Amino acid sequence: MLNIVFYFQVHQPYRLRHINVLDIGKKANLFDDALNGQVMRKVAQKCYLPTNNLLLSLIKKHAGRFKIAYSITGTAIEQFKLYSPETLDSFKALADTGCVEFLGETYYHSLAFLYDTNEFLDQVAMHRELMKNEFGYYTETFRNTELIYQDKLSDLIFEIEGFKTIITEGVERILQWRTPLYAYKNYSKDINMLLKYYQLSDDIAFRFSDRDWPEYPLTVGKFVNWIDHLTLAEKKNRNQFLNLFMDYETFGEHQWAESGIFDFMQHFPDEVLKREHLGFATPKETFALSNYQQEALSFPEPVSWADEQRDLSAWLGNDMQYNAIETLYGLLEKVKNQGDPQLLEIARKLSTSDHFYYMCTKYFQDGDVHKYFSPYDSPDQAYIYYINALADLEERLS
Amino acid sequence: MKILMFTWEFPPLISGGLGMACYGMVKALLALGIKIDLVLPTKEAVYFPLRQESDVDTLPAVFMDASVHRKYLNMSFSSLHERLEYIGISGRPESYIQLDEIRDYLKEVKKETWQSVTTVKEEQELFADMTTHLIGDEDLIKKVQEYTLRAERFARELDYNLIHAHDWLTYPSGMLAKKISGKPLVVHIHATEFDRAGGPGDERVHKIEHSGMMYADKVIAVSKYTAQMIMSRYRIDTAKIKIVHNAFTLSEDIVLTKKRIFKGPTVLFLGRLTLQKGPDYYLEVAEKVIQAHPEARFIMAGTGDMSRKLLRRSASLKLKNKFLFTGFLNRNQVEDVLRASDIYMLPSVSEPFGISPLEAMAFGLTSIISKQSGVSEVVNHAFKIDFWDVDLMAETINHLIEQPEECRRIGIEGMQEVNAIRWHEAAEKIRLVYSATLSEFIKRNP
Repeated sequence: MLNIVFYFQVHQPYRLRHINVLDIGKKANLFDDALNGQVMRKVAQKCYLPTNNLLLSLIKKHAGRFKIAYSITGTAIEQFKLYSPETLDSFKALADTGCVEFLGETYYHSLAFLYDTNEFLDQVAMHRELMKNEFGYYTETFRNTELIYQDKLSDLIFEIEGFKTIITEGVERILQWRTPLYAYKNYSKDINMLLKYYQLSDDIAFRFSDRDWPEYPLTVGKFVNWIDHLTLAEKKNRNQFLNLFMDYETFGEHQWAESGIFDFMQHFPDEVLKREHLGFATPKETFALSNYQQEALSFPEPVSWADEQRDLSAWLGNDMQYNAIETLYGLLEKVKNQGDPQLLEIARKLSTSDHFYYMCTKYFQDGDVHKYFSPYDSPDQAYIYYINALADLEERLS
Repeated sequence: MKILMFTWEFPPLISGGLGMACYGMVKALLALGIKIDLVLPTKEAVYFPLRQESDVDTLPAVFMDASVHRKYLNMSFSSLHERLEYIGISGRPESYIQLDEIRDYLKEVKKETWQSVTTVKEEQELFADMTTHLIGDEDLIKKVQEYTLRAERFARELDYNLIHAHDWLTYPSGMLAKKISGKPLVVHIHATEFDRAGGPGDERVHKIEHSGMMYADKVIAVSKYTAQMIMSRYRIDTAKIKIVHNAFTLSEDIVLTKKRIFKGPTVLFLGRLTLQKGPDYYLEVAEKVIQAHPEARFIMAGTGDMSRKLLRRSASLKLKNKFLFTGFLNRNQVEDVLRASDIYMLPSVSEPFGISPLEAMAFGLTSIISKQSGVSEVVNHAFKIDFWDVDLMAETINHLIEQPEECRRIGIEGMQEVNAIRWHEAAEKIRLVYSATLSEFIKRNP
């Protein structure tokens, strides 16, 4: 049996205003409320509401056989409440079906794991609390920001937070001859591990509407046929897991409605469920479904799902990014010592990984993706606004 | 006395110190009763007949074409800005003359004017040097060509005793006007290509500068430093050179009181981010000071071709959120950033004069200025340090941070000193240059 595991990332950062040095010390709002509201309402209209609606109807139609998972950041939930409460309601309706798993992550979609273990654990706990409060859901599967993972992360989330499953990128330099189609264990064999099957995930997320792609247009029949072929290699009846992980904004936002992405999704479960040896599972179910000894995988260096390199270079690849993030975590320490909850909230909003992503200077194909997602003219501008924000925050400390 | 004056910058047409200097100088000359017909790189073919002090702000304009001028006189504008916009003078100087308006320079040049039978060989050579070097595909060169072509009409149709041209961009116009009218020419050196480039610079500009200075009756240099440069690099006859230091006058509605941004001591660099201004030395000094005084903040105000390099370098030095870039600042923002700062630093590699430190001192900032600057000749209550001596500059700033009372005291002394530097005196000196030039000219051409 091959189980398709869908996980969708739902995230919106708090984008910064164009903060000038002369704005510092005026205690002005650092975040661009107008832009953030505008983006949230646009994405809700184009993606969140129609996609939630579609998936809800598919879940109902297939009566428990079609399942999905979401990871929704705290900053996204907060902005649903501010700018699109109906979106939050529609996620709650999905939660009520019992066919949706919610994953745990850092509340602020931060890189805290790499810089500040205590802050990381605080943000993970905050997020778990949020999922319980909003959806009545206790998270058991962990997904770190941008699927960033290395061995010591599994120690933290297993020993301290008690997560049972973790998901990350199916990086070839770790997998080598292995396939991402089986469930693995972390290096210490404590925790169940799923790896993104990036070729097929990216066929939907990145290539779906690319007319230069030889496989264009991607039809449901063709895609399910490819999935079918994956099962041929398995001769011992071991359960396989095809992990299709992607940004939720793929639906209607990165791939426009006109591309046919909604039609594709609408017919996909039908086509899959026609075949007895294909089905759907959520991440946490894979542990019980693993009818074999799971192999342990070691990740000595961090990996991620970003860009060709699948490493940290999208956020930590140049001096601007390093100076920005080191300054932030140094300042966060001071903010915590002062104990002002409002300042702490600002500092944490500044810990969102997107701020560092905007400063990326890898200007080839990946750079274009960065540019597409950035609200600023250039990485240099993004850096200037961010550093000015940190200077302002520091002036607010007494 | 009536002057035909060519300059590339005049408020609101400003990109650097030239515009500020011309404004202060022209205003003070008008106060002395000197009449000035000012020609700027405007979109429309106009000149500005300035007769009284207030004209420097209202900029009365005359269109060369009488019918166009009548139309202009009948128009009503809701604001000064709108009127200036109509004439095509409200942003940066380079944006006015549209490239598609530019006619083919070489075809249009009236060779007979410049190479007539009465022309001596030496003069022909200077003109040949100027015209053959005023060639290129750059926007700026094309705009200078256009400006020069228009100068011919001003030179023929206006009535004046003497021509005054500021910096190389207007030297070809000044030369042409002198040739056409037979009136004497004064060229004013605010900066040479050596200063601007921070190195050898553009050969064409050197040649134009050289021709202009050679053809002029008098050369005004803004400092001894610049006079030295003109003598050693351009071989100009010392008898022709007159030194008139720039001055500085604060506008009356200005607010000088401190309005801090940062709790910690704040150091300011204010100028174009180009090699000439030494912003890279400022960055090095900042790194040293921040090690000793992490509470210090360094502001880098301005834009320029080194912006990106400096930004990246500041990040690689891990100066955290203590070294900040403002980008381009408008006039009000410049005043705000001056009010927020304690110490001003001008590490210019080569600065013919440098009005910006005078302004900073007028705001009471304690100033550290490069020895390689003209402004260091006119102030005493400032620290004068070689631009390359980053250790000494850093030690000085550390000392000022550690002795805030002393820092304040020097700042106040500097403020008093600068308040005594007036454009009136500079204008008096320029008037003397004008009269000397005219009397020599009359002697030679009885």
